[in-house]
Amino acid sequence: MISKVMGLKEAVSRFVFNGAVVGLGGQNIGRCAMAAVHEIIRQEKRDLTLVGCNLSISMDLLVGADLVRRCEGGSGNLERFGSTFCWRRKVQSGEVEMEDFSHLGMVSRFLAGEMGLPFMPIKSLLGSDILVHSAPSTVKKFETIDNPWNPGEAVVLLPALNPDVSIVHVQKSDSMGNMIIEGFTTHEPEMVRASKHTIVTCEEIIDTGQIRSDPERTTLPHLYVSAVVHQPWGAHPTSTYRYYDYDADHLRFYQGCARAGGGQFKDYLDKFVYGCESYQDYLEKVGGKERLWQLEEAMKNLCGIKKENS
Amino acid sequence: MTVEQTRGASESYELNELMIIEAARHIRNGDVVMVGTGLPMVATTFAMKTHAPELVAVIESGPIDPIILQTPISVSDPRVMHKAARLGSLREVLGCVLQRGLVDIGFIGGAQIDQYGNINSTVIGEYRSPKVRLPGSGGANDIACHARRLLVVVSHEKRRFPLKCDYITSPGYLNGPGARQKAGLGGSAPTITVVTNLGVMEADAKTGLFCVTKLMPGVNLETVYSNMAFRPGVSSSVVEVTSPTEREIKTLREEVDPDGIYVKRGKTN
Repeated sequence: MISKVMGLKEAVSRFVFNGAVVGLGGQNIGRCAMAAVHEIIRQEKRDLTLVGCNLSISMDLLVGADLVRRCEGGSGNLERFGSTFCWRRKVQSGEVEMEDFSHLGMVSRFLAGEMGLPFMPIKSLLGSDILVHSAPSTVKKFETIDNPWNPGEAVVLLPALNPDVSIVHVQKSDSMGNMIIEGFTTHEPEMVRASKHTIVTCEEIIDTGQIRSDPERTTLPHLYVSAVVHQPWGAHPTSTYRYYDYDADHLRFYQGCARAGGGQFKDYLDKFVYGCESYQDYLEKVGGKERLWQLEEAMKNLCGIKKENS
Repeated sequence: MTVEQTRGASESYELNELMIIEAARHIRNGDVVMVGTGLPMVATTFAMKTHAPELVAVIESGPIDPIILQTPISVSDPRVMHKAARLGSLREVLGCVLQRGLVDIGFIGGAQIDQYGNINSTVIGEYRSPKVRLPGSGGANDIACHARRLLVVVSHEKRRFPLKCDYITSPGYLNGPGARQKAGLGGSAPTITVVTNLGVMEADAKTGLFCVTKLMPGVNLETVYSNMAFRPGVSSSVVEVTSPTEREIKTLREEVDPDGIYVKRGKTN
């Protein structure tokens, strides 16, 4: 049995390259692949194109670290916590390109990608300026055709999206890469299956026997996975369903730095990313065991949710 | 006045609170509701706890039919998943429920809403070098294209109601009756209801334009007009927004938004 388990340093070094199209898992304050993003920043992988549906704090950190050329997505937003401020600033200045789709649009592109197809039809976007404007380096954003079975009915075609590498943080994976995502899956199934490589960071490594005795529970099988990294708390400060709640204090702190930009944002990167040898160092800096326990308890109390096998 | 009103109309409340309660009234019991973050989440949670317990909430991150107890702070807040019938994917919700045509009412929002009900949540200024870059569509464009009814809950400010959006993220009636069909948006065009802290405006596909149908207590038409760049029509039967009952205010303050995260009290505008 081939084990794909490795350290985060090796996973990022091997599968993320300069100029890559990187698929980001997670949405808003849920299950963003933060540990992996920190490592990408430390290894200074640059000129990246980030793709996803809602692009959130993981995107914003990479943009703020000056490693991003272009984003393709449905939104840049941290909802209640505000905009994604580094991204907002750099899109306004023209430093970073943004190519807008709707969320169904992005999912449809990943859907084409995961099915091995060149494009996917969609009935959204018609009449809106999403089909009027595009980013400077976009070659062909979409095509509109006549429904061949109902001439006169317009249908939009969107090009498939197959990221070079996607990064997702999940609850459980075995050493082969069979993963279990608990709670909502957002756009990740389509994105992972469409990607050429996927780095999975996980809260727990489970035995392959457990997967094989209950295979309906496998969210995505190992075929799509290139690296498995055991990284508890790998989504902090976003939440991981059944494991820990989002860290509102740290999110607010990050947002303050991101909004200010300049020296304040540099200080954030220096302390929480560059100044950390590993993600463990980061976890100590955001409050260590005491803080993490609070977030874990908050999740447990949430409507009586209980972690499996806990 | 309903029986409840005669029994216990609330003595003191704020227009921000009544705005949420009025928005919730537009959700019918049993509706399939596409909910986003912020005020829509509050209004839907309130509706679920009051007159619409059988509403089916669908949230774009993947939860289908959750029983929402604490108002979630985001579409990816673990609180949106509570006792859902299914925790699915974005494709399942935006594709198999929304684009499929099963959503009765969808909430959308944005920085600008123009006279034809088009909504902008993408850029103020030019697309490639915007004055302000806004979050983008998210699921809003999809909702505007496919939901049967659209509901917008926003504070009433002049810059929010321009004659024409800088960018159309979510199509209303585009530039008039029939324009949606011409652009290729199938089905019948949705009704668009905008609930603000000043009143309620409704638009339908026949005219493609807004009409004031309700005014908040103590608010007159001039106040509404002076906070917009266009002048909506006036319904022949403009009524006052029904005051909330004490029970409704209690539910809102103690169960739905106990920490006052969404409904800023101490502010009437």
